[in-house]
Amino acid sequence: MSNKTYMCIMRKPEGENQKCEPPSPDQMEQMYAKFNAWKDKFKENIIDMGGKLGEGKVVTTEGAIDGPFMEVKEVVGGYMIVSAATMEEAVLVAQESPGVFPGSSVEVREISQP
Amino acid sequence: MIEPLETENFFRHQYGKLVAALTKRVGIQFLDRIEDAAQSALLKGLEKWSVERSKTNHEPNSSIPDNPSAWLFKVATNYLLDDLRQKSNRERLLIENSQRFIENLENSNSVPKSGQFNDDLLDLLFKSCHPEVPIESQLVFALKLICGFSNKEIAFRLFISEENAYKRFSRARKKLEEVNPSYHELSIVELVNRLLAVNKVLYLLFTEGYLSTHHNQSIRKELCCEALRLCLLVAEFLSKQSGKVTDLNLLTNTSQTYALIALMYFHLARLTARQNHSGGLLLLQEQDRSLWDKTNIFSGFQWLEKSSIGNNFSRYHAEAGIAAEHCLAKTYAETRWKEIVEIYALLEKKSPSAIHRLNHAVAIAEWKGPMAALDFLSEYKPPSWSQSSFMWSAVLADLHKQNGNEEVADQYQNQALDLAPNDQLREMLLRRLANSNKR
Repeated sequence: MSNKTYMCIMRKPEGENQKCEPPSPDQMEQMYAKFNAWKDKFKENIIDMGGKLGEGKVVTTEGAIDGPFMEVKEVVGGYMIVSAATMEEAVLVAQESPGVFPGSSVEVREISQP
Repeated sequence: MIEPLETENFFRHQYGKLVAALTKRVGIQFLDRIEDAAQSALLKGLEKWSVERSKTNHEPNSSIPDNPSAWLFKVATNYLLDDLRQKSNRERLLIENSQRFIENLENSNSVPKSGQFNDDLLDLLFKSCHPEVPIESQLVFALKLICGFSNKEIAFRLFISEENAYKRFSRARKKLEEVNPSYHELSIVELVNRLLAVNKVLYLLFTEGYLSTHHNQSIRKELCCEALRLCLLVAEFLSKQSGKVTDLNLLTNTSQTYALIALMYFHLARLTARQNHSGGLLLLQEQDRSLWDKTNIFSGFQWLEKSSIGNNFSRYHAEAGIAAEHCLAKTYAETRWKEIVEIYALLEKKSPSAIHRLNHAVAIAEWKGPMAALDFLSEYKPPSWSQSSFMWSAVLADLHKQNGNEEVADQYQNQALDLAPNDQLREMLLRRLANSNKR
């Protein structure tokens, strides 16, 4: 692997994307619309749009005490309270959550909507 | 004429294929020998092809076999066979095992097809993303064996010492030898579960390139392109699996990979425009949007559309969505901050972190003004680790300045400048803060 800068090989690296005509802004908006519609299904989970904060409240995980992981529980707890998701959904969230949560517990706050 | 970089890529990628294909056949415990065999085959290829070329003086590529991967595979297999035979003569303890592997190699005299090479590559990638291997070791392992970088190259790209790169690699290797019996095939369930780890390591690989402060732009781009290349291979592999199983988790995790690809395309599109001529970083406001790569943006939207399935809006979906919003905005002023804030709120629910929160706050400031953002942040304590505490101070300085709180702003500004990890960021921060109060 040491001497490698002088060879000339005419080959495209595999996996390179095919070039195509750039789309118009309208086309991109259309493609984006599908994502947006799909995304909106999850919108009901949002409680915090950055509106003025009401009284801050930290929700602890009472009622969800079994299970070996603090992090998972806190997410699950928070998630269930916020969006009433199923356990399956909560597990999905937990699966991809990083192990460390700054500020430790899950923060749920009352929001006065903008 | 081909760029030297592309030649380098060619050999790196061949290296990855060889290592993966041989590992699949004899097992990870022979990794040392496999690496030797792969290097030896590549050197032979280099010598043979260069010599033939100078003799015949033909077109540069005339002497290269049609299928260099197959040629290299044969050479490497022979080398490995010789090596294992010698080894088994020398060390009687290993005879029994080696014999089995030799037979296995001899029996697999048919050269893998091109698609098979990629499957082997992914097999190695999925196996290396084992939950017991620390992620920073997974990253080095993938860079070395799958992307074909040397320890020195890895150290240079990840800003770690060569020794550290070696340590991380050995750690991964040792663990993988323990946990991966050579003939262990990953079940579909394991694949589905590992997929999240694979996504994570590819995301990290991309981020290393994207956030890197290397002056040499090609170095940065290279890591991003490697991450994208592997991600596309994973996607291709997944689409083959989806016919075989109807697993909800597979669908969900696959949609994450698609979103990750979209995310990578959107960011790649802006990579060049992010820098000025001297390699300094440019603020979003300062970037020339006509330099954004339209083809990549288009690919981003294609994958984003594809990713919009299943019942899990992952962090990659969120990040891709935010990037998409920026790509759709014709000018900075036309950015739909409300939409971005909304996606940040989703992202924070998925994976709460100080970094996300800060970005969220910045988006809020653009949408509703600095006061709303300060309110939003006032609920949280600044994070303790230095990289993000730099950003925390920087954002607070910016927000207070915009809000007219000069004195507080100055405090945070000094804090941020002290904490800034490098001069480029320090310089960008000063530029931003100089403009903050004028906005």
